[in-house]
Amino acid sequence: MRSGDFKESYASLVVLTDSRWVWFWSAVLVATLVGAPFAVNAYLLSLVTLVLITVTGALGLNLLTGMTGLISLGHAGFLVLGAFAYAVVVVKYKFPSLAGFAAAAIVPALFSIAVGLPSLRLRGLYLAITTLAFSYIINNIILDASSITGGARGIAVQRPEFLGLDFSSDQAFALLCLFVAAVALFACLNIRRSRIGRAFMAIRDNDIAARTMGINLQWFKLYAFMTCAVMTGLAGALMGIYLSFVSVEGFPFLLSIEALAILIVGGLGSALGAVLGTLFVILLPEVVRILFGLIGGSLEAGLSTGVHEVKSIIYGVIIILFLRFEPRGLVGVWRDAKRLWVHWPLRY
Amino acid sequence: MKKRILTALVAAGLLVCPAVAAEQGVTDSEIVVGEVNPYTGPPALLGVAHTVGMKLAFAEANAVGVNGRKLKLLTEDDGYVTSRTLQSVRKLIDVDKVFAITGISGTGQSTAAMSILEKAGIPTIISVAPATDQFVPPRKNVFVIGQVYSEGIRQLTLYLADKNPGKKWAIITQDDDYGLVVREGFDKAAEEKKINVVYSAKYKKGQSDFSSEMLRLKESDAEVFLAGGIISENVAMLKELEKLSYKPVVGIFWPGRVEAVLKLAGPASDGLYAVDYVEPLAGPAGKAFLEKAKALLPENEFKSINRYTESGYAAGRVLVEAIRRCGKDVTRDCVISELEKTDNFETGVMAPISFGAGKRFSSQKVQIMQADYGTLSYKPAP
Repeated sequence: MRSGDFKESYASLVVLTDSRWVWFWSAVLVATLVGAPFAVNAYLLSLVTLVLITVTGALGLNLLTGMTGLISLGHAGFLVLGAFAYAVVVVKYKFPSLAGFAAAAIVPALFSIAVGLPSLRLRGLYLAITTLAFSYIINNIILDASSITGGARGIAVQRPEFLGLDFSSDQAFALLCLFVAAVALFACLNIRRSRIGRAFMAIRDNDIAARTMGINLQWFKLYAFMTCAVMTGLAGALMGIYLSFVSVEGFPFLLSIEALAILIVGGLGSALGAVLGTLFVILLPEVVRILFGLIGGSLEAGLSTGVHEVKSIIYGVIIILFLRFEPRGLVGVWRDAKRLWVHWPLRY
Repeated sequence: MKKRILTALVAAGLLVCPAVAAEQGVTDSEIVVGEVNPYTGPPALLGVAHTVGMKLAFAEANAVGVNGRKLKLLTEDDGYVTSRTLQSVRKLIDVDKVFAITGISGTGQSTAAMSILEKAGIPTIISVAPATDQFVPPRKNVFVIGQVYSEGIRQLTLYLADKNPGKKWAIITQDDDYGLVVREGFDKAAEEKKINVVYSAKYKKGQSDFSSEMLRLKESDAEVFLAGGIISENVAMLKELEKLSYKPVVGIFWPGRVEAVLKLAGPASDGLYAVDYVEPLAGPAGKAFLEKAKALLPENEFKSINRYTESGYAAGRVLVEAIRRCGKDVTRDCVISELEKTDNFETGVMAPISFGAGKRFSSQKVQIMQADYGTLSYKPAP
């Protein structure tokens, strides 16, 4: 049994985990997620798929906003770029799906330089507004470049097929999303324990101090933007495939706000927080529906026609409660629970 | 002994078989139908009204029963967000196990749900926002009631062009797929009638201030104006024209042909031309429909009636009739086949509805109507 968190070397400080149990339970979770698509009904499977796609996007934003402290309201812009890059390359130019995914990563990364450059001199609300403007500019470019993007009509997208694997079934597509989400999670966890991750956090905590310690602010801020754009672009491509139809309408500005809400509720700067926040935000309407279902009667009937309105109210209340009472988010609650479990009956 | 066990197994099998073979969403006493629409946010104006129409059709059918069964309607709110539409459709099919689906939200939302609906093979009636992608290519189980936007706009433009020969025209459309089809229909008619367009503009979806557009419209001396907004945009444009004391002939399209627009726009809405494939509520057919609705709907639902209630009612009537014609043995195949056989079916709220082999779009006849601010209603145009 673990009795403390004593570290004896620098390597042990940055290791992904020093607990065999964490590896064990992670393996169980992965096995469960791999098996889940074959065990749950189509509705639950679609929820799982949506969670996995959202996790990928949220992890991208977490690198930028959570770890580097650069607030972005242009997340939906990267999502829509990734979705259209995939659709244009695969549907319009008939390239293989893998080329589409490559485009979904590269195109938003290139555009991120354009929005990343102003970020070198801006921060806080000014940066947030710049990224918001970026999102609108992207939408207008897509709408105006109708000869390539289909404009407002959008592009219908089929399920991918590559490396001899057919992802046309819901199960296979969910596994593809699981793979991308797992790679994104590992990338985030590894960036965090690398020099790059430490530089990101130093910039977030105090960029002047970070610069005096030899961190190249321009380079690392651009790097954060590009990494975020790559992950978000891939999430956008998966979202487009999931919706089977890519259009500007399918990626409303609300998604940028929802992504920020995920990070705040989950816990800013933590990969686990991004995962917990996603689970919370996506599954909240389902939980609310089940709870109201238990109460039954007119409340349940009312909810069936207003579940998202109720969800929005609950969102707002929960975000306020988290900011007031638990700014560390769900990950803070999780760490407290873990500490209690390890140290019980001692307090610390 | 062996024989006895065999007999017991056969008997048990016979008992179990009907349950196994029973159609999803159909029991001895009821048939469950699902509807996906926006019930929150501004698009709730169409979603709530459409569902009220469906409820009315079901209430009417349930008064006598459909071959001994009652119809039950389950609703799902998608908030007009495509990903939620897909979730809702999947939930209705896989969790709630509905027999048929109606609605379904906006054009983009229902188009995105096509592959799920086709795969599920569930009888589906789309009656909120008809679009070509929903019936081309025709899908066995998906039936579309209404008329496509481009044809509606074409008819309205042709009517106004005939009524106002040689006049100068202006058009403003939204910068999305809705705006595109509006422009498509207008362009077709403009070519046919050689219309002289002196002012043409696009606005950003969600725009609320149209002062500069209306000023430029006035400067262009346009005499006929096609307002391609939906609800709040058309109201803002009309108010702005009123402020400028400029009175061109104005035409609007059916997604915004709700009485709320007249109330919000005030006297500026008087004389407005509109096109639609459902009957105006102030006409004789509309009045008869309202009478029926008053008797069967609770007051709060009655208050939310608009043109979408009529389209929901028509879709409900068509579905109920197909189910009724299947008799006691209600199966998906039977209902789909009966829907296909729908021929000149009268609903009282639009022209007779017909489908056929390989024909999954009813292509309703449109009519032009005019707003009367005094009674806050639309009446057939002279």
